[in-house]
Amino acid sequence: MPRTLSPSAHRRRAGCLFCVPGLAFLGLFLAYPLLYTVWTSVHDVELGQLLGGEERFNGLDNYRAVLDDPAFWHSVRLSLLFTLASLLLQFTLGFALALLFARPFPFNALLRSLLLIAWLLPPVVSGTLFRWMLDADSGAYNALLRAAGLGALSHDWLTDPSTSLAGVILANVWVGVPFNMLLLLVGLHTIDPALHEAAALDGANAWQRLRHITLPLMRPVSVTVLLLGLVYTFKVFDIVFVMTGGGPVDATRVLSLYVYEVFFTFFRFGHGAAAGLLLLVVPLLVGVFYVRRLRREEETTAGGAV
Amino acid sequence: MKPPRHRWLFTLTATVITAVFLLPVYWMVKTSLTRPDRIQAAHPQWVPAPVTGENYATALGYSGLTRALLNSLVISSGVVALTLLLGVPLAYALARIRMRGSGTMVLALLVAQLPPAIVLAAPLFILERRAGLADSYLGLVFADTTLTLPFTVIVLRPVLRAVPPELEEAAQIDGCGVPGVLLRVVLPLMVPGVVAAAGLSFLIGWGEFLFGLTLAEGPDIQPVTVLLNSFVGQHGTSWGALMATATLISIPVACVFAVFQRFIVGGLTAGSVRG
Repeated sequence: MPRTLSPSAHRRRAGCLFCVPGLAFLGLFLAYPLLYTVWTSVHDVELGQLLGGEERFNGLDNYRAVLDDPAFWHSVRLSLLFTLASLLLQFTLGFALALLFARPFPFNALLRSLLLIAWLLPPVVSGTLFRWMLDADSGAYNALLRAAGLGALSHDWLTDPSTSLAGVILANVWVGVPFNMLLLLVGLHTIDPALHEAAALDGANAWQRLRHITLPLMRPVSVTVLLLGLVYTFKVFDIVFVMTGGGPVDATRVLSLYVYEVFFTFFRFGHGAAAGLLLLVVPLLVGVFYVRRLRREEETTAGGAV
Repeated sequence: MKPPRHRWLFTLTATVITAVFLLPVYWMVKTSLTRPDRIQAAHPQWVPAPVTGENYATALGYSGLTRALLNSLVISSGVVALTLLLGVPLAYALARIRMRGSGTMVLALLVAQLPPAIVLAAPLFILERRAGLADSYLGLVFADTTLTLPFTVIVLRPVLRAVPPELEEAAQIDGCGVPGVLLRVVLPLMVPGVVAAAGLSFLIGWGEFLFGLTLAEGPDIQPVTVLLNSFVGQHGTSWGALMATATLISIPVACVFAVFQRFIVGGLTAGSVRG
């Protein structure tokens, strides 16, 4: 140990050393592959080149090819629809559940944990599960409809192009609801109960208290939850791939599946890289927005414990 | 406060909602325990009678299932080990040591969680092939750790910040070097955070699908999630065996969650809301 170093300089040096392995790893396996994607996106790379041919620089040709591809725009529309519908449903249901679970009642913690199971299951398992639940002849949901005398509504949900997206959204919402509930519940617990008590004393009913106390105070948490949900939902791949593989035909081929197909089915790496980077645009925009919000929040709560 | 009777009404409501919500999970387990000839029926049984292990026998007889379960165990354990090895020191440095650029690094870790896995799987497919990592456990562990490491550091940082600095200073005065302080003073205090990070990393590694699908070629290292998906193609109508497989994959998830539940929920909300 060199004695000349002051304790704080010593700590700084150790700090740098502690950072190196983790950062090196992320540089090598996260940053470098992403930069490599940028490189690929401006080169003509297909399977032949990968096996030893020469990659030719082709400027923005790959981007042009993606933007001229009607299938790409179809996937953009599907992704937007999938994301917006999922967000709306999982947030609303998650909020309603959070309001319920914010109250003290026996077995609250147990039931809340059970709900989380839906979120923790591997997406491949939930996807397979919902394939079975939505099965035309023996699926549980159709059986329930028949049992309720609504047999006319029973349907081959996933193989009908007009309902397959709805089926996939259902499964995705199922996974998302507990997560939304959990985060919103944390937010609800930060609201001072004295506010509700005071409002109740002033004669505000439950609906007025929700409308004028809970909802305004939940705004920051809600924005965070929605932004996180947006990023997560926009990237969803597993559950759609397992349930429909993008089909029937292309009825559920959201953007992540489009990129997958271009890359791993057609081995058009340049085209796929360009599409992948375009897929990155939405999360990045959301990310910038989110980080700026966090910064603002940190500034306003500066000096707080955490 | 309200009379207790009122509260039980909430319990009842919440129980009904939870039951309806978890119907798919019940249905998975139920189907896996139902005799195969009774599964595909217009009026399915709500309770399997008689209960049978037949589907589990069929599933375990499918080629590759036991191997794939083992592969997943190896991969997710590797992910946990690598994530903690890299993540604990990084989180410590970012939380406790005043350094230039640590704010940028935290920001970079937040951004690192944004790219969709498919955007990463594509270049990793090419690069790992070139580096000779394709089709190996290590290649998959590395790929999965890109998902778990940023998350882990974000979860651990607030935990580390909560350790009183006086403790560290005292240990330093007693002659502990920085690694010694981390190992002997800080690490024991951050056990809940580390447990949460380990549990979540395990769950992510265990459930990971896309990297397994694209980076693993043969059944020798294929994770069980990929195998389940190919079972759906091969044995598409054998729902009993498929649900048995799905249940087998879910059991470790349920176990990890049951044991580490409190830590995981705490870590999760800390990581997501506070960033």
